[in-house]
Amino acid sequence: MASSRKAGASGAPASRRRRRQAIVAWGFCLPFVAVFTVFMLGPLLGSFAMSFTDFTARDIRTPFAVNVVGIDQYSALLSDPRFLRSLGVTAVFVVVGIPITMLVALALALALNSGGGRLVAIFRVGFYAPVVTSIVAVAVVWRYILQPDGLLNQALALVGIQGPNWLQDPSWALPSLILMAVWRNVGTLMVIFLAGLQAVPEDVQEAAVMDGAGPLRRLVSVTLPLLRPTLLLGAVLISVGYLQFFEEAFVMTRGGPLDSTLSVAYYTYQQFGFGQYGLASAASYVLFLAIALVSLLQFRLLRSQDS
Amino acid sequence: MRRTRRLAAAAALVVASLLMTGCGRSDESAAGPAEATALGSGKASGTVTLWAMGTEGELLPEFVKTFEQENPGVDVEVTAIPWDAAHNKFQTAIAGGQTPDMAMMGSTWMTDFGSAFATVPTDLDTSGFFPGAVQSTQVNGRAAGVPWYVDTRVLYYRTDLAAAAGWTKPPATWDELHQMASDMKSKAGAEWGIRMPAGNDSYQGSLWMPLSNGATLTDGSKWTLDTPQQVEAYEYYNSFFTDKLSNPDTDISPGAAEADFVSGATPMFIEGPFMRSQLAKLGGEGFDQKYASAVLPTKVSSTSFSGGANLVVFDQSKNKDAAWRLVQWLSDPKTQVSWYQTSTDLPASQQAWQDPSLSGDANLAVFGEQLKTAVAPPANPTWTQVAAAGDTELEKIRRGQESVQDGLKALQQQADAIGLG
Amino acid sequence: MSVTRRRPSAKVLTYAVLTVGLAAWLVPFAWMALGSVKTQGEILQRPPTWWPENPTGANFAAWFDRLGFTTYFTNSLVVAAATVLGNLVFCSMVGYALAKVDFPGKRALFVVVMVTLMVPGVVTFVPLFVMVSKLGLVNTYAALVLPFVTTPLGVFLMRQFILGIPDSLLEAARIDGAGELRIFARVVMPLCGPPLATLGILTFLSSWNNFLWPLVAAQSESRYTLPVALSLYSTGQNATDYGLLLAGSVLVITPILLLFVALQRYFIRGVATTGLK
Repeated sequence: MASSRKAGASGAPASRRRRRQAIVAWGFCLPFVAVFTVFMLGPLLGSFAMSFTDFTARDIRTPFAVNVVGIDQYSALLSDPRFLRSLGVTAVFVVVGIPITMLVALALALALNSGGGRLVAIFRVGFYAPVVTSIVAVAVVWRYILQPDGLLNQALALVGIQGPNWLQDPSWALPSLILMAVWRNVGTLMVIFLAGLQAVPEDVQEAAVMDGAGPLRRLVSVTLPLLRPTLLLGAVLISVGYLQFFEEAFVMTRGGPLDSTLSVAYYTYQQFGFGQYGLASAASYVLFLAIALVSLLQFRLLRSQDS
Repeated sequence: MRRTRRLAAAAALVVASLLMTGCGRSDESAAGPAEATALGSGKASGTVTLWAMGTEGELLPEFVKTFEQENPGVDVEVTAIPWDAAHNKFQTAIAGGQTPDMAMMGSTWMTDFGSAFATVPTDLDTSGFFPGAVQSTQVNGRAAGVPWYVDTRVLYYRTDLAAAAGWTKPPATWDELHQMASDMKSKAGAEWGIRMPAGNDSYQGSLWMPLSNGATLTDGSKWTLDTPQQVEAYEYYNSFFTDKLSNPDTDISPGAAEADFVSGATPMFIEGPFMRSQLAKLGGEGFDQKYASAVLPTKVSSTSFSGGANLVVFDQSKNKDAAWRLVQWLSDPKTQVSWYQTSTDLPASQQAWQDPSLSGDANLAVFGEQLKTAVAPPANPTWTQVAAAGDTELEKIRRGQESVQDGLKALQQQADAIGLG
Repeated sequence: MSVTRRRPSAKVLTYAVLTVGLAAWLVPFAWMALGSVKTQGEILQRPPTWWPENPTGANFAAWFDRLGFTTYFTNSLVVAAATVLGNLVFCSMVGYALAKVDFPGKRALFVVVMVTLMVPGVVTFVPLFVMVSKLGLVNTYAALVLPFVTTPLGVFLMRQFILGIPDSLLEAARIDGAGELRIFARVVMPLCGPPLATLGILTFLSSWNNFLWPLVAAQSESRYTLPVALSLYSTGQNATDYGLLLAGSVLVITPILLLFVALQRYFIRGVATTGLK
């Protein structure tokens, strides 16, 4: 990036060039900025404003005839035990789910990186397949896998284990949904990691082989450092998704049993359903804050030092 | 970084000024829907857009052709909406001012969107409908819709297994129902005696118990959810779990209840009329000989919960006249009978039940009987929220985490905090 | 880390593990495909069975004969194609500007993009619809496409990849007197094969599976997309038609799998042409 500044190092033509460059750059951004302002920033500011009012379903036709209540909605949230519980559930889902998903995806990407053969192609498509399914269809099938006499317990019975009633047992419901989320999301990360691995130069690998580095050594000291931007991208993507953990809980357990799968996003959805728009908006922005903090942390941890 | 901060400050300013200028609830209530007018006689004309959910949405386009023939100037455009997200759809449509002329509206949703509905014309007669259904159209003391079809829960039981358990009649009292569930398990080999409401909407599904025990949900000024009658009713509910007659971890996914019923694992449940077609599909040929339905067993009374759907006309509609004429046509007893024959939706019009196609069916007559006393959901916008809190407390009770007394007390506290709306 | 360079035994072991893993991974699909030719009674049978006793094509036939599959399919395809195209063009333009051009407001723009990436979607839903109806776009293809035609995610993705392109390549072009547009089109874009394929797949997928927005933005069935139709016909108030749902799912999934198979070949060819080595 520093190099583009170097380009115009001398005097007046440089500043003219810089101005021209700015105009061109904003020109590049124009379509995005236009769409973004109308369809995202506007609604975003609207909903942010909503979180400081007592907006409910009754006000939907007269959105400006509501009272400003300051941070009342936020303090109501933080004193609602169900909301606090949903924060905990989301935290567990994220802290357990993300590392598992990333590890599995990385392992698959490394194993399937090279070779253009049919076999590799089949594996890639196969492991990617769960990503493309709609949650509604997946839910039907997974219920059959997880029900007391379902496929998972039948398989466990073969090795002499009596499986629990996965979805109806408060201590097993969340792990079941994490398993399902890993299944659904590994493919996305695998594709991103594969794309990243293709940017790892072959000759660096070969040089490492020449130096007698073993596979593990090459992974840790050559591949992973080079993969850092991709890992960051993957981590941010997956944590934004996982922090908004909703769909699995919605179709499989409805937040139950005993609120053991009640996520923040599901809580928000419920409040919207009740017409408590102010409260729901406030909950969304608490979640947003959490996502922003986690992403910031990841940026700090994974920012590539060499660039 | 400086620039970022400046941008954030600008955004905050925009929000703040938005809040300062635009907002503030005016003292007098916002201009509500216009006063009711008379419809008079005449033909409908112009275009009428109509939203209906699921099966109704699929069947209506063909069905309203008769109306279009009777009113040559009218064109009815039906849009079918998935049940899944119909609530979201109405929410956003009202917010965006993009409502259709009229819609089918679940009776428990009336209060959620009530302020967007026009008032029923004074000369559209609703006196012939079931009282519970008419009650569900009342929003803030005005008629905001017209009953279309009704729905109530009755007892379904497997007659073959009942006979094996020594029961040739349906249970008439609460004690008999408990005994019969016990016999189903011990004598007829069923896995569980009866399926008791669990999961989503379980509170609504269990309401027949407090209602049959003389309890009410509100006293007009506040919720009354932990009265002695309520506690007694839910002690009864809970006894099925403590006596191991009902499965507290039962599979709550759609289709599970009927699958267990057909397999005989759980040979009794309390459900609505839609189960008839589901059981026919699942049980196959001759299964209708193996089960019967009956009016709910009596404690103080036999009172079920009244559901179903109403027809509403939106206040913003440009063609209210034609829309109301279509509502009038759809609520006519003759039309109601032929709609029953098309859709198997139970007519809201009591007169329609005189027709042989309804009165000739014994299992159906049970619904007609139950509907006479069925009670509509409370007409409070916060009802869905209170019912959801009820679902949570019932789950704790069912799983033995909380006594009935404590659970209902907790529910009452939450309901008080939520208010009547 | 390439498998090819490993010892043969390690290679065999890797593939053995992968094969077992893949088999378990695909169990749900097998069940879905088998279920799509079963009747409702057989799907709900307890305990569940694997093989259909009386395979029936009725579920698929219903989609084509009765339920107007082609309309919904066309809608989905048009919307997804437009969304993908928009994202590929607009997001890489912004990504390039953010990664390789210095201009005032750049940092702020990037921060705003990142921030919106993290806002939960459910919160903007109602205001977004109000905006779309104020613009008079309800029930148009534009309403289905425009809110997603460029996404913060796409911008972030393209910026990340373009950052990795060596500056020396761009400098060379600049010295030759090429303008930014020319550099973008002739130097940067040809290098962006893999990230564009990734972005294309991700965008296509989210558009293809999007349910709530198309439902709300479309006011008539002629504008419904596949997921909306799937939900409409299979999920009732109290009952779910599982056969119809599974058959519909098979129909929804197949095109995307095919698309991925096609692009996945491109991925492999892409290695040689990226010039990122």
